[in-house]
Amino acid sequence: MRFRAAVEAVSVFYKITQAVEKLQKRFIIKFTPENMHIICNHEANEGGTQVWSQIKIDSIFADYRIQSNADNQITMAISSEALLAALRSASASSTSATAYQVEEILMKLAKKNDRAVLRFDITGTTSVGRRVKVTHDVLVDVMKPHEVAKLAEPLCPDPDLHILLPPLQKLRTIVERLRPMSDILAFRANNNGKLQVSISTETARVQTEWKNLLNPKLNEEQAEEEGEKDLDKIFTVHVSTRSFLKFLNSHVISTSTIACVCQNHCLILYVYIGDATDVGGVLTFYIPAIIDGD
Amino acid sequence: MSEEQPPILTASMHDLRHFATILRGINFNNVRATVTILHRGLLVKVEEARTITATAFIFSDIFDEYIYHSENQQNDNLMESSQGELLDNTMFEVSLNTLIDCLNIFGTGGPTSSGTGGSGGNKRWRKQGEGSDNESGEENEARGRGRRIEPISTTGSEKHTGMHMTYAGGGYPLTLLIAEDASGPTTTCEISTYEPEPQLDLDFDNDRMILKIILKSSWFRDALSELDPSCDKLTFVSNPPEMTNNPRNGKQRKGSATKPILRIKAGGNFGTTEMDYPNDRDVLESFECTRSISFSYRFTHIAKTLRALQSSTKTSLRIDDEGLLSLQFMMPSPKARGPEGEGAQAFIDFHCLPLDEDVV
Repeated sequence: MRFRAAVEAVSVFYKITQAVEKLQKRFIIKFTPENMHIICNHEANEGGTQVWSQIKIDSIFADYRIQSNADNQITMAISSEALLAALRSASASSTSATAYQVEEILMKLAKKNDRAVLRFDITGTTSVGRRVKVTHDVLVDVMKPHEVAKLAEPLCPDPDLHILLPPLQKLRTIVERLRPMSDILAFRANNNGKLQVSISTETARVQTEWKNLLNPKLNEEQAEEEGEKDLDKIFTVHVSTRSFLKFLNSHVISTSTIACVCQNHCLILYVYIGDATDVGGVLTFYIPAIIDGD
Repeated sequence: MSEEQPPILTASMHDLRHFATILRGINFNNVRATVTILHRGLLVKVEEARTITATAFIFSDIFDEYIYHSENQQNDNLMESSQGELLDNTMFEVSLNTLIDCLNIFGTGGPTSSGTGGSGGNKRWRKQGEGSDNESGEENEARGRGRRIEPISTTGSEKHTGMHMTYAGGGYPLTLLIAEDASGPTTTCEISTYEPEPQLDLDFDNDRMILKIILKSSWFRDALSELDPSCDKLTFVSNPPEMTNNPRNGKQRKGSATKPILRIKAGGNFGTTEMDYPNDRDVLESFECTRSISFSYRFTHIAKTLRALQSSTKTSLRIDDEGLLSLQFMMPSPKARGPEGEGAQAFIDFHCLPLDEDVV
């Protein structure tokens, strides 16, 4: 099993980790020759939110080499906090002038005291020109192929609609205000560019509405079907406010986000990374519906 | 229902920051506020521990639109007199936290507004200093205010969040429509209202007033912020200025050297702090004290006034013969005003009962 790569876009890696870090203490990273997949599928995580993502190797790494007996794939479970700390050390120093200038970040799978670690070798120069080398070893559990085979994305019915969300930063501000008011958030949208985020309790009913958003058509087949549907029909899904707020942590990385509503089943959110023209990857959040909403 | 009968209250404003700042000033922890709708504006009152009340007076002219359709139309002739107008009111209770969160839904009614309010307050404070330097008086100052406040409010934020508020009557929710701009999202809030409960009335009777001080809020704020939060008791000690001195003349401070005209004393488990104010017109704009007094208040109660104090410009402190403390904070107004608008500035009024010295 061999694995090594140079981390080119450390800030992207850092932000992706940041986006999912709040969700679970440990998550799974699966490296394949083409993609990196970050998976949070822990049953126990609050609200049952799952994240499945696919990030192109090119958008983060260079000199990428991977070899294994399992179809050249390596899957590992890793502590989100420890990974974040290693990446922070690598990315913060590249921006601040005080410590040192990072020249190269090498990531590789290594062994330390008979345990597998993901080693980050950071080389750089200090302000006076001396070379420094910082090494972070993040303990990982390499998963066996039969364990990996059990990983499966949640099955969802065909979504009732797709809608392009407004900037997540703005959405986050609004949901933050709603958080103390209610544990359950209603996410409503139609195929005519309308989105409503609302809460309803004994004390207050608050609803924020966007109009003229885009309803992207994923394929032509769907576009044909759409002609027959009632565009103004509103589809609703109730989700946990806290889970939704955790998804909104991905505002740090998102450029555009598409939400899919499966009425009374779940809310699926596709967070695109990188430019719209050159999508570097996508984080998919599955937030289960709360059925006994109101 | 709005077709047949107009709502009791319709009010709107293009920039809600000022409104949100005032309400935040009286936001105790998780209490319901009693809102009284009057023809002249809104009165929002909260109470805690049956000891301290805070009332915000928000006059109708800070709203762009303010229409009050009283349910008691038969009292038309009563409304002529000001007393009648006070009687002709509509009251309801509402959760203040929810109301403030709703106003701040886009994050635009938030701390930034109190920040700009604070800086506005500082600017104004300096201006008043200048005003008292040259003797040309009030009018000059007011005109200067009108000219100079404008840039503050425009640089504060490029975007204003507008609000439209309606209250249809008893049993109906308080409805807010909030929008940032025409293209952006709109938020509709329906906040449940409740029947008003009997209020604690801590009326301040001017005839029983012993101490009356008017000072710039910054002087009072600096004093209070010096104090350690672990204090549990705050005492105001005040003595009449020595009769030999002309109390109006700030230059002679002989009396204050021996007996402080105003001393703030804070005590807690870790010690006591004492602060004396000089009898100087630059500090205390007006000072009236008829006899020596000393009253103590719970520090946590006084600390509740800090948020309002921070965004205010001027403070009036009064104490009556039983120790009832009245703190009035003048809130900076968002609009440039002529001298005639001065009287209708929004203000927040705190009334606090003293600690019983025999028990403590």
